[in-house]
Amino acid sequence: MKKTIFTTLAVVAIALTSFTASAQKLVSTKTHFKFFSTTPAEDIQANNYKAVGTIEKTNGDVVFSVPMQSFEFEKALMQEHFNSKKFLDTKTNPKAKLVGKIVDLSKVDFTKDGTYPVDVAGELTINGVTNAVKEKATISVADGKIALMSKFNLTLNDYKIAFKKGKPSTNIAKTVEVTVQATY
Amino acid sequence: MTTKKKIFKILLIVIGGAVLIGGGVGYYMFNKPARDVQSTKTDFSYKASEIVNEYLADAKKANAKYLAENGESKVLEITGIVSEISEDFNNQKVILLKADGEKVGVSCTFTSETNANTLNIQIGDQVTIKGVIRSGASFDEDLDMYENVIIEKSDIVSNK
Repeated sequence: MKKTIFTTLAVVAIALTSFTASAQKLVSTKTHFKFFSTTPAEDIQANNYKAVGTIEKTNGDVVFSVPMQSFEFEKALMQEHFNSKKFLDTKTNPKAKLVGKIVDLSKVDFTKDGTYPVDVAGELTINGVTNAVKEKATISVADGKIALMSKFNLTLNDYKIAFKKGKPSTNIAKTVEVTVQATY
Repeated sequence: MTTKKKIFKILLIVIGGAVLIGGGVGYYMFNKPARDVQSTKTDFSYKASEIVNEYLADAKKANAKYLAENGESKVLEITGIVSEISEDFNNQKVILLKADGEKVGVSCTFTSETNANTLNIQIGDQVTIKGVIRSGASFDEDLDMYENVIIEKSDIVSNK
């Protein structure tokens, strides 16, 4: 009898633990990534709504996986350039990825409505090139809904995205602005 | 008019014509509209589970088969069971084709032109959706979850 009670308790405990563990991870499939480049020649932007992201509430792990062919440009030719081997080589590297951590997680109270500015540090992989990054982001909590916003600059040369000659070299900025929006 | 002058005149016309055509082609190339996926011929037709399993078996091989270097990747028709209907930040409808018990499916994003065609679709319906593939299914260790096959520029082909 004692054994049965013990077993039941153990099962309940395990079930509860695994339940809490899965409840701590926030998943976002509603996202928006935007690239914005500005030069005297022209402004170019590209939008992507298909990234997937997670935040682990317990340790602050932040991950985003971005399908590169989902970036949409106004002009078809720009989109072709973007995808091509010379630039982002999206056939070889279909996804870009951020694996980071909210370094000041103690500032965030996921249970309380508010806006929490944080720093996210980690590694960003684009075009098969990985660099260490540290960027500012904002976590917001409203009616239990959690969202992440961030805006940062990306130096294309750091990711071996080089426009040496022709129109792209004069019309695309060396540093582009990236805007991230995600609801979890 | 001397012969020399005549030749010169013809040469001018030819060069002028070439510059005009070249400029026109260049201008067209620069401003050409994005490919209309719905009027493009379908390359492959599958059940949702078929394309998912092909990717899970060998993602590299599947990428080589379906993704195009210039981003104009293969146009697919996918048949499956609607498991989720949502909307993205661009107000585009998103339908997830995934059968009960499957761990990963095909996420299809519609457009402002095709959104309305999803309005009578309900969870549990079997539908066929045509669109362009953007990326495949895989298990991502960092996310610690499966990622769906991604189809965009979608429209409903049939709704049984």
